[in-house]
Amino acid sequence: MQKITLDFQRDTLSNGLKVLTLEDPSHPIVTYQVHFATGSRNERPGITGISHLFEHMMFRGSKELGPEEFARIIQANGGTLNAFTTVDHTSYFESLPTDKLELAIRLEAERIEHLRLNQENLDTEREVVRSERKLRTVNSPFGLLIEQLFAIAFDQHPYQWPVIGWDPDLRGLTLEDCLDYYRRGYAPNNAVVIIVGDFKRKEALTWVEKYYGHLNPQPPVEIPPAQEQPQRGERRSIFKKVSQLEAFFAGFHCPGIRDPDVSPLLALSYILSHGKSSRLYLRFVKTGKAVDAQVEVDSPPFWPMDPGLLQVYAIAAPGVPIGGLEKEIWEAIDEIKDGRFDEEELAKAKRGLTTSFIMGLQSVFFKGLAGGLSELKAGDWRMVNVLLDRCEEITTDDVQRVAQRYLSADNRTVVTLRPITPEENERLEPME
Amino acid sequence: MFPLKAADIKKAQLSNGLTVMGLEYHKLPLAHITVMVKRGSERDPEEKAGLADLTAEMVTLGTEGRDSQQLALAMERLGARYSANSGWDASCVEIFGLSQDFTALMGLMGDMLLQPTFPQEEIRQSQQRRISRLIQQRDQAEVIADEIIVQRLLENTPYAHPIYGTIASLGGVAADDPRSFYHRYYSPEDAVLLVSGDLTPEKIRQEAERFLGGWKAHEKVDYQPPSPARPTGMKIIVVNRPDLTQSQIRVGLLGIKRKDERYIPFKVMNYIFGGGGFSSRLMQRIRAEKGYTYGITSSFQAGYVAGPFIISTFTPTATTVPLIEEIMKVMEELITEGAQTQELEEAKNFLRGSFPLKLETPGQMAGELLKLELYDIPFDYLSTYPAAIGNVTLDEINSLASAYLLPKDLVLVVVGRVEDFLETLRSWGEVELVEYSEMIKDCFPSNTSKHASTT
Repeated sequence: MQKITLDFQRDTLSNGLKVLTLEDPSHPIVTYQVHFATGSRNERPGITGISHLFEHMMFRGSKELGPEEFARIIQANGGTLNAFTTVDHTSYFESLPTDKLELAIRLEAERIEHLRLNQENLDTEREVVRSERKLRTVNSPFGLLIEQLFAIAFDQHPYQWPVIGWDPDLRGLTLEDCLDYYRRGYAPNNAVVIIVGDFKRKEALTWVEKYYGHLNPQPPVEIPPAQEQPQRGERRSIFKKVSQLEAFFAGFHCPGIRDPDVSPLLALSYILSHGKSSRLYLRFVKTGKAVDAQVEVDSPPFWPMDPGLLQVYAIAAPGVPIGGLEKEIWEAIDEIKDGRFDEEELAKAKRGLTTSFIMGLQSVFFKGLAGGLSELKAGDWRMVNVLLDRCEEITTDDVQRVAQRYLSADNRTVVTLRPITPEENERLEPME
Repeated sequence: MFPLKAADIKKAQLSNGLTVMGLEYHKLPLAHITVMVKRGSERDPEEKAGLADLTAEMVTLGTEGRDSQQLALAMERLGARYSANSGWDASCVEIFGLSQDFTALMGLMGDMLLQPTFPQEEIRQSQQRRISRLIQQRDQAEVIADEIIVQRLLENTPYAHPIYGTIASLGGVAADDPRSFYHRYYSPEDAVLLVSGDLTPEKIRQEAERFLGGWKAHEKVDYQPPSPARPTGMKIIVVNRPDLTQSQIRVGLLGIKRKDERYIPFKVMNYIFGGGGFSSRLMQRIRAEKGYTYGITSSFQAGYVAGPFIISTFTPTATTVPLIEEIMKVMEELITEGAQTQELEEAKNFLRGSFPLKLETPGQMAGELLKLELYDIPFDYLSTYPAAIGNVTLDEINSLASAYLLPKDLVLVVVGRVEDFLETLRSWGEVELVEYSEMIKDCFPSNTSKHASTT
């Protein structure tokens, strides 16, 4: 198979802002992305959710722009835009017609320097985010279960709280909290800028220097997140909610993105649940025992920076007891630990991983994310290519070893959904 | 490759009537292959909603030479992804893989389309999987709202039912139904193969002939779908789910056909009204100014017949009424005051400028081309689009707004905790109230008290 790699150029401004560029003139668009190395892992109890709420505040106006005018202007110039927050970073991006790159650079820099934070904007946006929390978590079929899973699996590390934050914290966040967060997280030396697509590198670098060059770096004040102690023994809980089906969500602590075990863990997840020839699909989904059964890890570059959770979940089909289904899934995973899988399954997984990577390169947006997030999380954009090379080298021994090491019962946390009727739900305290 | 020109699409016809379209894409070693049969869920027999979609999946679940597992292995060994499903007016089988495997992938495509075997056990399992998913979907208020609004807007047309069917209709599909559906509707004369990838048109044509040339045509079925009627008065349907802390809200109107000459002005009007994200009036007022919701959008679907034009949003229970009232105000303002010149210019700039973003990948290009082909829109649409957007006038927008945004003739669906808003809704018109607990009874026809036993 033809070997394909990504090849960025890295420049660093004197204030520490890193700029990664990759010219690709084949299509008349350009993606501009700014990734800040601040996410929910940089929060503390009491202000959970501030990273994400702050992402919303970035659209509420600056010296030059009124609320939401940023979005209106980018769109009025033929661009699309959005932003997202994860445990590790907050990212802003625009995709634009080629001749509009300077506009995006100027407006992104302007809102970093002159963001207009006021009480009225905060109050409006707080309610928008609480509505988002209700949508994504409280009223979604499994949102609250996954939230509980992380809350129980982690004792020390900030991955224990959700990116969207706990509702009481959202209600309590103040303007001072926001200003403090802004000063710490939104410094040029805490960001990576990415430009990919149809543009001229030299010209673009001049613009980045022009609009960002005068911003002052901030001393790195980040206190490294607490390290999670190894888990010693299974943790379990039950969550009751209105639901038609039973389900369980489990998590196993696994290493962060820099660890060489990431590649065999990816292959393991492919063998178990990627595609219609995978083990869990054939055994549980196809046969109708489960509506869904998955081993889930975030594929790079979304894999978390610090040790996170490999998730295993199943939604039982009507009438299938969840306890029995869970046990059968652990048995299926035990087969991998016992080495009962072959080279051919691994070859299929490796081919799937490399093909997925190539498919990802179709869009300049994804290329930008791959380079930018690798730089931010692993300290080097080359991580993208390294991971691909590592995939080629995975052996069946590697897969067996990581299954044994990480997918042990002692390292496991399980939350089980216990369905209740709407009437029974009335008797429980409401969730927010 | 932009702008995409009609001449870039190499179109030919095989002797069995199959249309073959090839589009070269040499940036990456990929091949995106779709066979689209121009028959979709509107052909579901009455009482058998979901049959078209089930049939599409069955095509991937066993052929003369390979059972479902062998097919899956053959695809996934090559790192390829494949799927088959139906929508309104069409069903598609899609394979996406590496161009170096094009011949093998076309072999698999031919195998699936020409020699499906419809094994009984696979049909049973698929029915079971689908019913289980529908039972799970009963937990999703947004899905319930989406289903009801479409059902009411498109009443008495073959588009009213969900594409994936209902628990009852899937239960009623007989073992022979998918095969009959396939024989009736999967004919090369009504189908298109579209390949976009790192390949030459010759190669595409050659492999199409080799693997799909033997697909036999059969008799045409005459068909004319009835057009939906515009809602008159305000129809209000409320689903009471006391466990929700947020209401799902849909406001439904009737839109236009794809062939309607006002399709492009309609796009622009929708952008200004609710389709343009933060540039739209709905988002600006209801999220940015009022903070009632995280998201509000309007969208329209245009097919052979006029499709739905729907406003979708959600809000904490307490703001349900103020939010709906605000939607009505935004509608009325656009009708009475009209759009502004600046809004129109910005909408045009967005729609023109972002056009290349929608045509970046082989899959995106395939999707766009297949829609044009399906609704018989000439491919020069792709090159004339920017000018057509540029020609839209304020008068056109304003007359479309008056003709289609009708605050007094619409369908309103709310799924939520009704005690906080039912009374007000009743003062607006007759409310059809559905209890969620009644609605989920069909999930367990044999044992409605199942949950009680698990707690």
